[in-house]
Amino acid sequence: MRRRTAAVMATILVATLGATPVLADELSVFNSKSEIEEQMEDMASDYSDENDVDMEVYYSQDTVAAHLSTKYASKDPYVLSMVDAKDIYSLGPDHALDLSDQPWVKDSSQIISIDGKVMGFPVCIEARGVIYNADAIKKITGEDFDPASVKTLDDFDALCQKLVDGGMEAPTGIMKEDWSLAAHYLQEVYEEREDPSAFIKGLHDGTVDLAKDEKFNSLMDTFDVLMKYNYAKDAPIAAERETTEQKLAEGEIAFMFGGNWDWSVINAYDYSENMGMMPVPQNTDDGSNEKLVGGGSKYFFIDNSVSEDLQKQAEDWLNWLVNTDDGKDFLVNTCALVPAFKTNTLDVSDPLGKSVKSYADDDKLIANYNYDPDDHYSVCGASMQKYLAGEIDRAELAKEVEAYWQGATLADPAVTGGAAAGTEAATEAE
Amino acid sequence: MKRNTMSYKVRQFLMFAGIPTVLFIGVIIIPFIYGLYLTFTSWDGVSKAKPFVGLSNYAAAFSDTAFWTAMGKTVLYSAISVVLVNVLAFLLAYLVTSGIKGQNFFRAGFFIPNLIGGIVLGYVWKFVFNRAFVTIGKSLHIGFMETSWLATPAGAIACLIIVSVWQYAGYMMLIYVAGFMSVPKSLIEASQIDGCTKSQATWKVIVPLMRASFVECLFLTITRCFMVYDVNLSLTKGEPFNSSVLAAMHVYNQAFTYKNYGVGQAEALILFIVCAVVGVLQVQIGRKGEVGA
Repeated sequence: MRRRTAAVMATILVATLGATPVLADELSVFNSKSEIEEQMEDMASDYSDENDVDMEVYYSQDTVAAHLSTKYASKDPYVLSMVDAKDIYSLGPDHALDLSDQPWVKDSSQIISIDGKVMGFPVCIEARGVIYNADAIKKITGEDFDPASVKTLDDFDALCQKLVDGGMEAPTGIMKEDWSLAAHYLQEVYEEREDPSAFIKGLHDGTVDLAKDEKFNSLMDTFDVLMKYNYAKDAPIAAERETTEQKLAEGEIAFMFGGNWDWSVINAYDYSENMGMMPVPQNTDDGSNEKLVGGGSKYFFIDNSVSEDLQKQAEDWLNWLVNTDDGKDFLVNTCALVPAFKTNTLDVSDPLGKSVKSYADDDKLIANYNYDPDDHYSVCGASMQKYLAGEIDRAELAKEVEAYWQGATLADPAVTGGAAAGTEAATEAE
Repeated sequence: MKRNTMSYKVRQFLMFAGIPTVLFIGVIIIPFIYGLYLTFTSWDGVSKAKPFVGLSNYAAAFSDTAFWTAMGKTVLYSAISVVLVNVLAFLLAYLVTSGIKGQNFFRAGFFIPNLIGGIVLGYVWKFVFNRAFVTIGKSLHIGFMETSWLATPAGAIACLIIVSVWQYAGYMMLIYVAGFMSVPKSLIEASQIDGCTKSQATWKVIVPLMRASFVECLFLTITRCFMVYDVNLSLTKGEPFNSSVLAAMHVYNQAFTYKNYGVGQAEALILFIVCAVVGVLQVQIGRKGEVGA
C-alpha cells in the first residue's frame, strides 16, 4: 500500500517536472496594449489553429519594464514582447534577435535599429495632440468646426470663451495621470525643437534655463488655458480618466489633450460622430502648431535566447501581420490601429486614427523623443500634478524639472557617446 | 540503538525537519543572500551583466531623499494605524466577549474585512472615497466631503490609515478575544469577591493577564504596517504627486520601474532592518514583566 502511494507520488512528481518542457514550445506573446487585449487573444487562438503553433498571449497591467524584468529575472522570457520604444533601447542589445534580414524592414520608416541591427518591429503609429469633439462645438457656434482655425492659443482661448458664453459649462478636460502630464505633454517641450538630445544634455548639465525657455513657456501658456476651462478645475487631481473621456465623448466638454489610443476609452461611451485630433494650439510660428507629435508606438522584439524553432515561428507571425490580408485586416479593422507599414493601405476606421494617418501621410508628425530615463514620467509627472493642482507655480515647476534632469542618468546614445543605451550608457554617463 | 551519537541526532533531525529546512533554505535563505549580493552590483534588472560596484548602492540609498521621505511617511502611517487598530480591536473584543446578543455574528462580521485581499479592498475603498463620499458630500453640502480626500496629500495618507484600520481591526480583535477568554473565570470572581468593581476587574486583573495578546497584536500590526504595499498600490498608487508613496512601494518602483535594481534592493534591506529592529525591540519590551497565568 505504501509502495503504491510512493509510486503515485513519483508519477505526479515526474508529470509536473515533465510538464515544463511542453510549455517551452509555446509561442508566448506579451501584449502591453490593454485596449487590444481581447482581440489579441482571439487572434492567437485562430492563428494557432491555422498554423499549427501554440500561440498564447499574455497581458500585464504593470509597467512594461517592470513586468519584463521579473520575467527575465526568472529566466522565463516571452518569445515576442510588445514594449515601448525606450524598452527596445534598454533591452534590445542584450535580449533582442537581429531582424535585419526580414522582408518588412524596407517598408517602414519607424523601425528601430541598434548598432545597425534591426531590433524593434513597429506595431502602429500613435500621435499626441488635442482631441476635439466637433459636434459639441457646432452645437454652440452653429458652424462646422475647422481645427485649422484654432492654430494659435489666442484663437483657441477665444473659441473656449465663446463656448462658455454659449452655455458649455467647461470646454476642456485634463487627464491627471502622470504619464499623460509628463511623458506626453511635458515631453513636447523636449520634442518640439531642432535637437532634443542637445536640449536634454543642456538640462542635465544645468546650462538650460527652463523658466526662460520659449517652448516651455509656450506650451505652459496653453496648459494654463486648458486649466482655466477645465471642468474639474476645483479638484483636478480627483478627475478620473474614464469620467473625462466620457464627457468628451458625449460632448459635455469639447477638448482634451491626449492621443489616438484614447479612442479605445471614448468608444466605450455614446460618442459623437465628428471627433478628431489637432495639434496643440500655441502662439508660435515654428510650425509646431500645425503638426502632431508621434511616430512608431509599441514595438515587438523577439527574444534571442529561445529555441530557433520558436524564433522562426515568431518571425513568421510578424510577416503574417505585415504581409497577409488577414494580418493587415487584424491590425487595422480588428484592433483599430494606424499601420506603420506602407504595404498596409487599409483605411483606418476610428476618427482619431484617421486624423493621425492624415497628418502622417502629409509628413506632419514631430518625432518622439524615446530616451527618457525610466523615472522621468513619475518624478516629473508628480511635479506636473502639483502644478495642475495649483500647489506650485511655473517657476517652481521649471526648477523641479531642472533638478530632476540634473540628477538623472541620461540614456540617450547621442549624448552619452553612441553607447548602445541601457546599462552601458548609464555607466558612461556617471 | 544508541541515541547519543551524532549520526542518530542528524537522522532524527532530517526525518522531522529535513523537508522544511530545505524549503526554508531554498525560498528564504538563498534568495536573501542572493539579494544581498545584488546590492553590491549596478544591475538594472534585465541586462545580463551585473557589474560590481561595492557599497555605492548603499550610499545612493542613504542619499535618496525620496526614500527617506517615504520612510518618514511609513513611520507616521504605521504609528497612527497601530494605535488605532489596537484600540479599536480591543474595544471590539471587549464588546463581543461581554455577552451581548448575537456576539458570534458580530465576531464574524468584524473579521470579514480581513478575508478580502488588500488589492480588492483598495479598489472598493477608492470607489467609496472618490465617488460615494463625494456624492453624499455634494448633495448634503458637507464642505470637507465635497472633494475627494484622495486628491490631497494629507487626505490620501488618512485614507490609507482608515482602510488599514478597517482591515486589521477584525483580525486583531480575534486575538484579543482569545486573550479575554483565556483569563480564568475563577480569578475574576475572586477579585470581585475581594471588592473589585467590574471596570477594576477589567483593568487590574484581565488586562495584565492578557499581556501576551498585546505583544502579539502590536508585533503583527507594526510589521504589517511597515511592509504595506497592496492597499497602497490599489488605493492611491502613490498619488497625488507621489506624496502617498510608502517605503515598500518606493522600493518596488526603484528596483523595477526605475530599473535601479541594486539601489532598490539596498533600500529593501534597510527597510527590513528597520522593521526587524522595531519588531524585536517591541517584543523584548513587551515580554518584560509578562504575567504567566
